[in-house]
Amino acid sequence: MSLLNINYLNIVYKVKGKKIKAVKDLSLNIESEDSVGIVGESGSGKSTFAMSILSLLPKEITEITGDIIFDGTDLLKIDEERLRQIKWKEIAYVFQKSMNSLSPVHKIGLQMNDIYKIHEANATDKDTKERILELFNLVNLSKGVYNLYPHELSGGMIQRVSIALSLLHYPRLLILDEATTALDVVTQGQILEEIMELEEKLKLTRIMITHDVSVVSLTCKKVAVMYAGYLLESGYVEDVFSLPKHPYTRELLNSYPSLTGERNRLKGIPGSFPDLSVVHRGCIFADRCKDSMDICFVREPKTVEISNDWKVACHLVGGEYNG
Amino acid sequence: MRDYIRKRITTGILTILFSFCLTFFLIRYAPGNPIKVLAGTENPNPELIEHLTAKYGLDKSIPIQFGNYIKNILKGDLGYSYMSNEPVSKLIGEKLFATILLTLTGVILSVIVGTFLGVYAARKAGSIFDRLMCSACYVFDAIPGFWLGLILILIFASKFGILPTSGMYDLRAEHQGFARVLDVVKHMILPVSTLFIIQMPMYFRIARSSVLQTMSEDFILTLRAAGMKENKIFNKYVLRNAIIPTITKLSLSLAFIISGVALIEIVFAWPGMGRLIMDAIMKRDYPLLTGVYLMISVSICVVMIITDIIYALIDPRIRLE
Repeated sequence: MSLLNINYLNIVYKVKGKKIKAVKDLSLNIESEDSVGIVGESGSGKSTFAMSILSLLPKEITEITGDIIFDGTDLLKIDEERLRQIKWKEIAYVFQKSMNSLSPVHKIGLQMNDIYKIHEANATDKDTKERILELFNLVNLSKGVYNLYPHELSGGMIQRVSIALSLLHYPRLLILDEATTALDVVTQGQILEEIMELEEKLKLTRIMITHDVSVVSLTCKKVAVMYAGYLLESGYVEDVFSLPKHPYTRELLNSYPSLTGERNRLKGIPGSFPDLSVVHRGCIFADRCKDSMDICFVREPKTVEISNDWKVACHLVGGEYNG
Repeated sequence: MRDYIRKRITTGILTILFSFCLTFFLIRYAPGNPIKVLAGTENPNPELIEHLTAKYGLDKSIPIQFGNYIKNILKGDLGYSYMSNEPVSKLIGEKLFATILLTLTGVILSVIVGTFLGVYAARKAGSIFDRLMCSACYVFDAIPGFWLGLILILIFASKFGILPTSGMYDLRAEHQGFARVLDVVKHMILPVSTLFIIQMPMYFRIARSSVLQTMSEDFILTLRAAGMKENKIFNKYVLRNAIIPTITKLSLSLAFIISGVALIEIVFAWPGMGRLIMDAIMKRDYPLLTGVYLMISVSICVVMIITDIIYALIDPRIRLE
């Protein structure tokens, strides 16, 4: 069953008279209990996309069109009060930089208590505390954390607090935005494992935003590769990562070391990121693509489905004949 | 927390001792001689000078003078002013109330109004009110206090004649009871307004920028994503985080509550510490000066200790050291 269905999502930032297209014609379908990794370089629109799901982008400077349909409701069309009912109860986030994701001058317990009561106004303090301690237990935190301030915890602990916080209402969709990027590899591994266990237990659907391909290959069922606001390739991790169809996906995978297999020279991707404020013709990656053809600079490739949810937007994969 | 307070108090006492020693020696080694001022004429009688020097103990070496001063101060005796021959404690006591009444009223008004306007402007950032207030505050900030005082006197006292030009009481009326209070209030309006206009912009800008900065913190995003209502986010989370710089500025203002408004006091002929300090410096009135300095350093330290404790209550990160 489709839980989150995104159709032709466009997000434009209007800054200083310029229009920056951060997300362009993004369509993505996420099934219930899926785990989807969204990968791409910095500035590829991953976080912008994630924030748009709950309308968290500053309204004055953004223009969003398209549909974000969550469980039958278009989140972009409903009023603020209805959206507020969905926030955190159905969809919750673990933000990047969780070190700052809690107020530094309030105790952790108090803040979680406040957030819990947004949707459970009648809950008693005792029940709320019990719920929070139960979640602490779930993410391997001691009870004492309840009475501590954020600065008294280590990076890994505060990350676990953020995860516990996001699970307060057992949301159906959990969005982790670079949630483990700031951690050391060991702690990151532990936390990822915990997240996957919780996912089983709580029947969560997860969107994982990261620039770390290895995190996605270890923890996600599906992957979506973004570049400069475009979704270039998406599909099951075992398909996309073993036989990437899009040249950008190949380049991205080549720029990460592989744990198994032969030792290859790591490669960066030549060229630089396009300016998103100017109108672009053809394929957005054409300038940096080794396999670009004439048509790539003229016509935007269509997204074609190769097989079973595996979608690619590239002229090399048949897109060119449909223009 | 108790350790923290104890540490603060110890530091405070050490600071007072240090600054007291420093000012005691500095003023006495500085050029200038109170005996010459006392003797008055251009070519005073050497015998008179010798007599006066011996009378005030200035013939002894400065370390011995210091020892004597400490001995007296431990008995609670701040000595007598050279110029007026009155006890230093009495002189300070008379002026202290007037100064504190003036400055504290000014500071409290500035903090409350400035902070309130700043918070409001930050919530409406970019609005006409915000932009007007910001530019107005730059103008007020650039105005020297004594000049503003003179202009206010010119407008409200000279031109319209609705407020008194100077002083703290109407000397001819000899009001009693409530009428006297009213009289003082009337005399306070112009000097307090001057203080308010030059101090308020600082509080306005601190509150405004601090609120704006807090609003852009990541935890605000968390609370918004969680669906917390904007008013609750603001009242419970933003304000407490944003108030800390205001307390810093307030403590700095309070520290200078005794000595900081001398110029304004002089413009308005306010019978406060300002005049007393200026006279004492000009005439090298050592006992009075030392007394005043001691008073100032004690008040600064007391204010600092209190603010440090308030800090620690508001921001837990400060408690750990």
